[in-house]
Amino acid sequence: MNRREWLKSMSALAVGVIAGPSLLAVAEAHAASQKPGAAPGFFTAAQLALIGAVADIIIPRTDTPGAVDAGVPRFIDQMFKDVYTPQEQKRYVTSMAAFDTAGGKPFLQLDEAQRKALVMKLHAQAIAAPASATLPPATTFVLMSKKLTMLGFFLSEPGCTQVLQYSPVPGAFKADIPLAEAGNGKAWAVETDLKI
Amino acid sequence: MDTNTYDAIVVGTGVSGGWAAKELTEKGLKTLVLDRGPMVKHGDYPTAMKAPWELPYGDAPTREDIARHPIHTRPSFYGITQSTKHWFVDDIDNPYEETKPFDWFRGYHVGGRSLMWGRQSYRFSPMDFEANGKEGVGVDWPIRYDDLAPWYDYVEHFIGVSGNTDHLAQLPDGDFLPPMELNCVEKDFRGKLDAKLNRKLIIGRTANLSAPLKHDQSPQRGTCQYRNLCMRGCPFGGYFSSNSSTLPSAERTGNMTMVTNAIVYEMIYDDKKGKATGVRVLDAETGHQTDYFGRIIFLCASTFGTSHILLNSVSSRFPNGFGNDSGEVGHNIMDHLFGSGAHALVDGHEDRYYFGRRPNGFYIPRYRNIGGDKRDYLRGYGFQGGASRADWTRLADTDAIGADLKKAAEKPGPWSIGMMGFGEMLPSHKNKVTLDRNRKDKYGLPVLNFDAAHQENELRMAKDIIADAMEMLNAAGYRNVESFVTPANVGAGIHEMGTARMGRDPKTSVLNAWNQMHACKNVFITDGSAMASSACQNPSLTYMALTARAANHAVEELKRGNV
Repeated sequence: MNRREWLKSMSALAVGVIAGPSLLAVAEAHAASQKPGAAPGFFTAAQLALIGAVADIIIPRTDTPGAVDAGVPRFIDQMFKDVYTPQEQKRYVTSMAAFDTAGGKPFLQLDEAQRKALVMKLHAQAIAAPASATLPPATTFVLMSKKLTMLGFFLSEPGCTQVLQYSPVPGAFKADIPLAEAGNGKAWAVETDLKI
Repeated sequence: MDTNTYDAIVVGTGVSGGWAAKELTEKGLKTLVLDRGPMVKHGDYPTAMKAPWELPYGDAPTREDIARHPIHTRPSFYGITQSTKHWFVDDIDNPYEETKPFDWFRGYHVGGRSLMWGRQSYRFSPMDFEANGKEGVGVDWPIRYDDLAPWYDYVEHFIGVSGNTDHLAQLPDGDFLPPMELNCVEKDFRGKLDAKLNRKLIIGRTANLSAPLKHDQSPQRGTCQYRNLCMRGCPFGGYFSSNSSTLPSAERTGNMTMVTNAIVYEMIYDDKKGKATGVRVLDAETGHQTDYFGRIIFLCASTFGTSHILLNSVSSRFPNGFGNDSGEVGHNIMDHLFGSGAHALVDGHEDRYYFGRRPNGFYIPRYRNIGGDKRDYLRGYGFQGGASRADWTRLADTDAIGADLKKAAEKPGPWSIGMMGFGEMLPSHKNKVTLDRNRKDKYGLPVLNFDAAHQENELRMAKDIIADAMEMLNAAGYRNVESFVTPANVGAGIHEMGTARMGRDPKTSVLNAWNQMHACKNVFITDGSAMASSACQNPSLTYMALTARAANHAVEELKRGNV
């Protein structure tokens, strides 16, 4: 799958979410973002905090930086502000609202262990569902957030250079070498994408 | 008039225009080179050195980018990204009409599409130049392979083409720089294709410098750095573009005058002399109109750019468009069948990887309707493809999450292989582009209207392309073999050609054997317009060879006083 297909696959997610909670959440998000003094972006501060908390579970800081270190919440905010369509915006925000109620109380009021357990549970449900299934909105939110977090993280400098390996100017091509001798043996941040 | 008068005028600076500029200036002609877009000097590539994290939006187009490029964001198109969108025209400002849908990639700037081209560089073969005549299709080429072979040598030597000497009659070898290598899966596939189906797989032949050039005339060209970011423009000069190669040579002669933002909209014809005397130009920024004059004119404005100029140049001598006595100008549009093929997963080879990003893939040269092979259609196709290991995107739909996800992403994924067919399209008078005088663009110029579609021969071939791709991957024993079809219209191959074809008879063709207009001997057309057939190989190298050959002839004819 090339990058373009990957981004497009965002739109293919979770049609069922349209029946989910309120369009009001979308309107509120927009209204909040339009208020004078609000940070420029798509999401409210509260939404962004939730996105950050989820991204931190999806790609945590370990011996290398995590999604939040890499600026993923800001990346996701920019993508929704300028790249994704109104339909995609609506799908994400409404599924976020459903997710926020899935743990019994607002996600950010759960303790760390509860947050992680909820995200893991919903993620497992999403992965276990057949490809053709319509996912519940809260599950959709976790899967969409996973994709967005991965996109933002693996294109970030820490993602490319500390988790994967990146060579800006290889200077040579070795077509067929032992894995251990290909740089440091990790996956290349930029796979060869044939353009014809 | 004197200040606007030159020995030669070249319209366009893409692969053909750049070559015309180099050849004519090196032969001593004071040459005016016109491009309808802004200047792009070699090295002036704003995104060339950006890392993935330095490009906004993960390099994706914004909603605004998509709104400005409704054509250039169709499924078969590419390039509207943060790293390359500046090389493609704004579709809103540059409209065209589609009686039938048509995919028209355009870049209006100095260098044209030579900046963004795919760089695959193949010769046409003797068979390709003979096919029309033998089969009674379109018109017979007025030249044969031997006429062009020395000029292929000449341009390959100058631009640098990496390739292997493969001894294939249908794909003549050239003056190559060292070949790039196949990776382990591609080598595996090559062996199995050869053993099971007796088909050849070769490394692609590409205009990237796998070693230094064999001449010292292009000091600005360096070897390929294997970044695979060619489309952004290469500050190392690692691949051929007009900007990196031919235009610097033309400039060094001191004989070139370049005028940018210069839209040529009409030929100037002198009835008494029976010659073209110049071109009319509209400044893209100011709208100011200027006439320029020259003894010879090379139209290298791209296939449809040239069609536009010819069709828009109406006079009492040429009521149907300049040089259009045959009525063939704008007709016989060809491209290559594009967008379909197959891919598969390849088990094993997990301990093998690669270093560097090869800007090239493998090529399976045509094997249909060659020797004993006989199909229910004419001509054939080649495949271009590659194998690589899956990246982190493979993990999205797996149960990996958290620290496990990071750990899993560190490992390269499984191998996959894919390939796409490029099929020959036959010339047909029915496939045409015309000028709609009732609709004007923002410059007040009438817009082009496309009316072209694949016909019976192409539709039959398209089925074979998919079936063969599946057959080959299955024969190799690969897993999850699946075909793909990208929605694509004529034009999607970005190999559009044929609308002012070469031929022997002025009644049925526009140009003679020297790319010289039958009806106006001091006008030469050497872009894709000139092609009498499309073969199935990427055509740019042939445009370059035709241009160098035509320029040489034009200067000789000037000296003889014949033009």
